[in-house]
Amino acid sequence: MGSTLDQFGSQTTFADAGIGAARTVWLTNSMSIISLVILAFVMLVALFAWRSTGGGRVWWIIGGGIVFPLITLSVLTVASATTLRSITGEAQPEAPVIEITAYQYWWDVVHHSEGRSLRDANEIVLPLNMAVTLQLKSNDVIHSFWVPSVSGKMDMIPGRINELTITATKEGRFRGQCAEFCGLSHPLMAFEVLVLPVEEYAAYLESLDEDARDAVTPQQRRGKEVFLTSGCTACHAVNGVSENGRLGPDLSRVGARASLGAGMWRMNRGNLAGWIADVGDMKPGAQMPSYNDLSGPDLRAVAAWLESLK
Amino acid sequence: MSDRDRNSGLLGTVFAILSGVIVSLAVGVWALGTPGNDPVGAAAVTAGTFMEGKFRWLRAEPENVPQDWVEISKTVRGGDPQRGATLIAQYGCGSCHVVPGVARAHGTVGPDLSGFRDRAYIGGVLSNEPGDLVDWLMNPTTHAPDTAMPDLGVTETDARHMASYLYTLRGS
Repeated sequence: MGSTLDQFGSQTTFADAGIGAARTVWLTNSMSIISLVILAFVMLVALFAWRSTGGGRVWWIIGGGIVFPLITLSVLTVASATTLRSITGEAQPEAPVIEITAYQYWWDVVHHSEGRSLRDANEIVLPLNMAVTLQLKSNDVIHSFWVPSVSGKMDMIPGRINELTITATKEGRFRGQCAEFCGLSHPLMAFEVLVLPVEEYAAYLESLDEDARDAVTPQQRRGKEVFLTSGCTACHAVNGVSENGRLGPDLSRVGARASLGAGMWRMNRGNLAGWIADVGDMKPGAQMPSYNDLSGPDLRAVAAWLESLK
Repeated sequence: MSDRDRNSGLLGTVFAILSGVIVSLAVGVWALGTPGNDPVGAAAVTAGTFMEGKFRWLRAEPENVPQDWVEISKTVRGGDPQRGATLIAQYGCGSCHVVPGVARAHGTVGPDLSGFRDRAYIGGVLSNEPGDLVDWLMNPTTHAPDTAMPDLGVTETDARHMASYLYTLRGS
C-alpha cells in the first residue's frame, strides 16, 4: 500500500473513517440544515412584516432579541457538548492503550499490549472497529494530535496526559497532522494512520516485539556497522542491535513505514540517504545533525540497511 | 481507309471499353466484398506519399532542412518529460538535488540540477549525453564507485523519462 503522499482525500472529515469524524459530520450537517430553515422562516416573517402596519414592536424585541437566541444557543450548547463528549469517547477500561508522545517534529508511538511496551514511530496502526485509548503527551512544546478522517483533534500538552478514545471504522491509510504551531518545521510534522483488521493488528504488534531483520548483503552489514560506529545509537533504537536510544524515532521497522521524516517523504533509499546527509535542509529545526562526514559508500550502505528493516 | 481497318478499330475500342468495365467491376466487387478494405484508395495514398516525398526532396534547399543537431543530441528516445517529473518526485531525487519544476526538490546534498542540459559532465565522470545519462540514473555506483548517490533501482523506462525531463532544464 502506497503512502498517503500520493492519495487525495486521506485527510478529510467528510470521508469519515471513524466514529468521531462521523459525529462531527453529523453535527455540521444538521447545524447547516437547521440554520437554513431558520433563515427561510425569518425571510418569510420579514415579508409579512413589510405588508402589515405598526404594532407589536416590543414583542419583536423580546421574541427576536431574547427568547429566540436563548433557545437556539441552549440547543446548540447541548448538541455540541454531547457531540464533543462522544468524539472524545467514553473511557473504556478494556480498550488497548496507545501512548503517543509528540517531539519537535515527530511522534513516538508505544503500543501497550499484555504488559509489553511496543515502540514504533510516525506511523500509528489501529485495529478496525475497536475502541482504542490514546494517551497523548508532549515532550517539549504544545502540539495537537489530529487525524481528520478518524476523529476530532486534541492538544498534547507538556506535563499532562490527555486521553482520547477513538474507533476507526474503515480499513486503509489516513493522514494526520500536528494541528498546533510548534516551531520551524510544524508544517512538516505529519504522520500516517494505518487501519488494519484485528488479526493483522495483532500480527503487527508481534512484529514490534521481534528483533529487527538481519543484515544480509555485504552492503547491509557495512551499513549496520556504520550505524553502530557513527553515533546513531545515541538517539535511535533498533531492536536486537542497540536498544538504548530514545531521543529519536525507533528504527526497528523503519523500512516498513510508508513515509520518512514524519509523513513527509516517500520511504526509499534515495530519501533515506538524502535525509542522513542533510537533515537540516529537509527538516529545518530538527534535532538530528546532518551526517555529511560519512563517505559516499558508507552513506549508501546505511541507507540500504535502514531500508531493509521491515 | 478500308472496311477491314475500320472494323478492327471499332472492335478494339469495344474490347478496350468492355475489359475496362470488367476490370473495374472486379476490383469494385473485391473492394466492397471485404469490409474496411480499400486497395485502390490505399494504393493512391501510398503513391501520393511517395510522390510528396519526391517533390519535397526536389524542392528542398540546404537552409530549410531542419537539422538542429544540438536538439537531436539531447533527445531521449521514448522519454516523456511530464512523466519524468512525476518519477523524479517519487524516487526522491529532491532530497539531495535542487530540481527546478519539481515540488519540494531543494536538496543540498548533491549538485543543483538547474540548467542540466548545458552541463558538460554527469557526476564528473560521464559526458552529458542521453545514453550515458540514462545509464547513470540506473546505476551511478558502477560509474563512480565512491559516489554518495545510491542506486535507486530505476528501470530503463523510468530513467528515460527522467532523463528527458532533465534535458528540459536549460541554463541561463
